[in-house]
Amino acid sequence: MIEIRNMTTSYGRGELFRVAGLTLKTGEITAVIGRNGSGKSTLLKTLAGFLKYQGSITIRGRECRDYSARERAREIAWLPQMLKTVQMDVETLAEHGRYPHHGSTRRMGDADREKVKEALRMTGMEKMAKRSLQELSGGERQRAYLAMVIAQDTPMILLDEPTTYMDLVYQKTFFEILQHLKQSGRGIVLSVHHLEQCFAFCDSICLMDQRTLVRKATPEEWAKDTDTLRAVFGIEMKKTEDRELMYPYMIRR
Amino acid sequence: MRRYVTAGIVLILAAAAALLCGNSAIGAGDVLRTLAGNGTRAQQVIVFQVRLPRVAAALLSGAALSVSGYLLQNNLNNAVASPGLLGINNGAGLFVLISALVFPYQAGMKCVIAFAGALAVTLLVSLLSSGTGLSKTSVILSGVAVSAVCVAAADVIISVRPETVADKTAFQLGGFGDVSLTTVSIAAPVIVTMLALAFVLAGGMDLMALGDEVAQGLGVRVRMYRLIYLLCASLLAGAAVSMSGMIGFVGLMVPNLVRMVHHGKSRGGIALCMMVGSAFLLLCDTLARVIVFPYELPCGLLLSALGAPFLIWMLVRKRKRLGVND
Repeated sequence: MIEIRNMTTSYGRGELFRVAGLTLKTGEITAVIGRNGSGKSTLLKTLAGFLKYQGSITIRGRECRDYSARERAREIAWLPQMLKTVQMDVETLAEHGRYPHHGSTRRMGDADREKVKEALRMTGMEKMAKRSLQELSGGERQRAYLAMVIAQDTPMILLDEPTTYMDLVYQKTFFEILQHLKQSGRGIVLSVHHLEQCFAFCDSICLMDQRTLVRKATPEEWAKDTDTLRAVFGIEMKKTEDRELMYPYMIRR
Repeated sequence: MRRYVTAGIVLILAAAAALLCGNSAIGAGDVLRTLAGNGTRAQQVIVFQVRLPRVAAALLSGAALSVSGYLLQNNLNNAVASPGLLGINNGAGLFVLISALVFPYQAGMKCVIAFAGALAVTLLVSLLSSGTGLSKTSVILSGVAVSAVCVAAADVIISVRPETVADKTAFQLGGFGDVSLTTVSIAAPVIVTMLALAFVLAGGMDLMALGDEVAQGLGVRVRMYRLIYLLCASLLAGAAVSMSGMIGFVGLMVPNLVRMVHHGKSRGGIALCMMVGSAFLLLCDTLARVIVFPYELPCGLLLSALGAPFLIWMLVRKRKRLGVND
């Protein structure tokens, strides 16, 4: 569990980013939404330990800044938006997810190999394990990186706009994988732009606006709070009972 | 596995050829007898004080310069990054000129001073580029700037004190003609230690190839690792330069050739660089000794003749085919 209390961090041209209070739990999928530049990535990067902050961020009761880099990587996995297309096969990439557990000097053990195998199976990348990342499509590559993050085997996973390069089918599969991870007790925090998708698959949604966390609430609560969404995005979310539609919430102008 | 065995066999053959060839007319049987302890006094001097140090120097310099180039190219994500481009060789050269001024009669100091010069340049380049978070571009640009300063300073020294020129010329050509057991014994421990360190820490380099953010997310202390790799690369280059002078292009050519055939983990790449670099420099040195027999070309001259066309070919070739990722 991650708890944020009176946290401020500066980024860009000295702009301040603030979160008064936020709790992110394991066994829950939390979406971070907001307009471009609202601070979604800053929030995730701060949680991942990349940005210095004032105030308090605790991971399982211990202050985030007190963790060493590898200790933190055993608690929180992080996948940035921009992913490199390196000359590396999918299995090797997934194996890198075990780095926080064994470091540079030790070899992979049987338990590590099992975690990698499980991650490849979960993401449906088993058959592509020996293929180079350069041969994969954007969506497949994103799943390969997701396999690496799953192999990291952390209680919390942070994903920055993970569905950017995925087509509709991959996106659906991707959220099914997240559901599976959630059921296995992991906490997932992801920044997304696709509101219908995150209202459909996420347990709670954090709305960011002007570098501040506005509120964290469930999709049902956001659907009732029409004023806030309208003030930020100029739209509101409407729950629909039409089972023919792909998502249970629709965007209403 | 096959490519490691091939590289190993080529290395053994290159070392044997280097040991057996030379200006003195002693045959393979004589060399083997001398190695077994049955040679004449003259043969013992030739084998143990001339050929073996020379083979060891070429072997160690080849491995050191190649791994140095491999570390720099991988960490800066730039196929043309090499000890030469980052000014490490020029830094070592400048310091050797300074040593010729300050300690004119102490040959042993040359090694230590060249080594210190390489280290000083690397620290300066790291310091200059650290303001921008040790980004790849800032490190390269800082290297080019520091290199230019070193060349200018060397020219000033030559203009003011022309008696240092002879030393500098020999040093800048590069070769193994003046190698002694002393110079090898000073550089060897540094090279062996740094090669071992690079090999042990190679895992972090694989992760850094995925980008700084992904590597950080996996718990790699990117800035610290990059600094260690840079220091390791500079010590390797400095130690090699102290033995062989400013031999160029090995640190550029060998890592690129290795990456063309090796797409796996960095540890394997380092092992291949060590073997291919050593074999390459041993073969070049042997060739330099026999090509205009009974005269001898400086090995660095031969390498420049091979390296310049290689660089042009490399620049024309697409970067992606070189296996360096943007």
